[in-house]
Amino acid sequence: MIEVSQLTKRYRDLVAIEDLSFQVEKGEILGFLGPNGAGKSTTMRILTGFQPATSGTAKVAGFDVFEQPLEVKKRVGYLPEIPPVYPDMTVAAYLRFVAELKGVPRRARRDEVDRVAEAAKVAHVMDRLIANVSKGYKQRVGIAQALLGKPDVLILDEPTVGLDPSQILEVRDLVRSLAGEHTVILSTHILQEVIATCDKVLIIARGKRVAHERLADLQARHPGKSLDEIFLDLTSDLRTAAPGTVPVRAA
Amino acid sequence: MRNAIAIAKKELYLYFTTPIAYVVFFATSFIGAFFFLSFTSEFQRRSLQFMQFQAPEMLERMNLTDMIATPLVLNMGVILIFVVPFLTMRLLAEERRQKTMELLMTAPVRSGEIVLGKYLAALGVLLVVIGIVAVFPALLDTYGSGGGVEWQTVAAALAGLFLCGAGFVAVGLFVSALTESQVVAALITFLVLLLTWIVGWKAADADGVWHDVMTHLSSVQHLLSFSRGIVELQDLVYFVSLAVIGLFLTHRAVEARRWA
Repeated sequence: MIEVSQLTKRYRDLVAIEDLSFQVEKGEILGFLGPNGAGKSTTMRILTGFQPATSGTAKVAGFDVFEQPLEVKKRVGYLPEIPPVYPDMTVAAYLRFVAELKGVPRRARRDEVDRVAEAAKVAHVMDRLIANVSKGYKQRVGIAQALLGKPDVLILDEPTVGLDPSQILEVRDLVRSLAGEHTVILSTHILQEVIATCDKVLIIARGKRVAHERLADLQARHPGKSLDEIFLDLTSDLRTAAPGTVPVRAA
Repeated sequence: MRNAIAIAKKELYLYFTTPIAYVVFFATSFIGAFFFLSFTSEFQRRSLQFMQFQAPEMLERMNLTDMIATPLVLNMGVILIFVVPFLTMRLLAEERRQKTMELLMTAPVRSGEIVLGKYLAALGVLLVVIGIVAVFPALLDTYGSGGGVEWQTVAAALAGLFLCGAGFVAVGLFVSALTESQVVAALITFLVLLLTWIVGWKAADADGVWHDVMTHLSSVQHLLSFSRGIVELQDLVYFVSLAVIGLFLTHRAVEARRWA
């Protein structure tokens, strides 16, 4: 469903991702792990067509992100790092607007908005201004927005940030329930999240891929170590070379 | 086009759920009423004078259209310089500051449609502003004696005002695409628009080619013939090209952001 090959992104003299290649099969949930600043958000922005890559290719559902961006965008639901919501709109008006933007037919719009509001558990705040709801609700509205139009691929950039523990569990359940029908890439720096929801894990550090395999295989390759230790091991040998980066404590 | 309309609807929603549209309407009606009252009292004063001097030929020359309606519309052009930056400042600057541009740019929508949608929404509000200005000639027509106003002339003047505003909005939209700060966008738009106005004052001092160039650059000069009821191709071309160039540059600026 998603094919990324030799993707590189440079910002002037800073290399955000370098020669990154991976694939995600249809219906799979991929946990995208890495310390802060590893290039997760950049990769996701390229996959959604928000930013172009410096070199390399990315394909979603067979369409090249750079060559046929509109075809890709029709098939991708995206939750950016900061939920893209308008504070001066009500939740209902916002979701209706995004549904229209994504080309949900007029007649199906109301049902579709109700469906995602139900799935993201925002149905009871529909008439409130987004400015007046809590951070957790803004995040959930962001998730609801990504689900609109039943996209084949969901790209979620840290979907559980700002949520309380019970909401985190709900979002994990929600993501799990999407498996099979949707292909999901979920970025996080919380290991438990990956363990709870994902089939496969892709770990990057300083823009480079350090692991891409099933969770069980990863553990089998490093016997006697917890996932936390494996994660720190994999990302730290590269981190020592990066001055100024603070080690991330896995939660 | 469907996508552009979706975006225009959202922008209109935001104009009317935030105070912006109402403040613009208030400013237009308030300043419009101010001009209207000063022009009508001036008209009254003069007609009294002519009656005292028993100058019927002078009285005959006075009419509501030339002495109140069209000067009013021309003066409202100045108000557009204040009002348009306020209308356009938010359009793109705020999308970037709130990080909602990421939503628009990753939705199946072309950047041209984003720009067009925002432009159409601002034009919608502008149309209401022109409607408010049109109330004053309508008042004259209803309550004025001596045949009311000459609607063809007033309509040309109002159309000119709308075209002028449409050009100004495109300039404001472009400036809004360049910054994340609404205040900076409003201020720069205001400066640019003011410049197109005051360049006409300087034209009077210049000679030869410069005189012509500066006269043609001046927006007030092009609004002037509209306000007299004359629709000239060069004036039409001026405002339409202002709009087209503004929209083109906005589109380029939005596209360029991707590559930054």
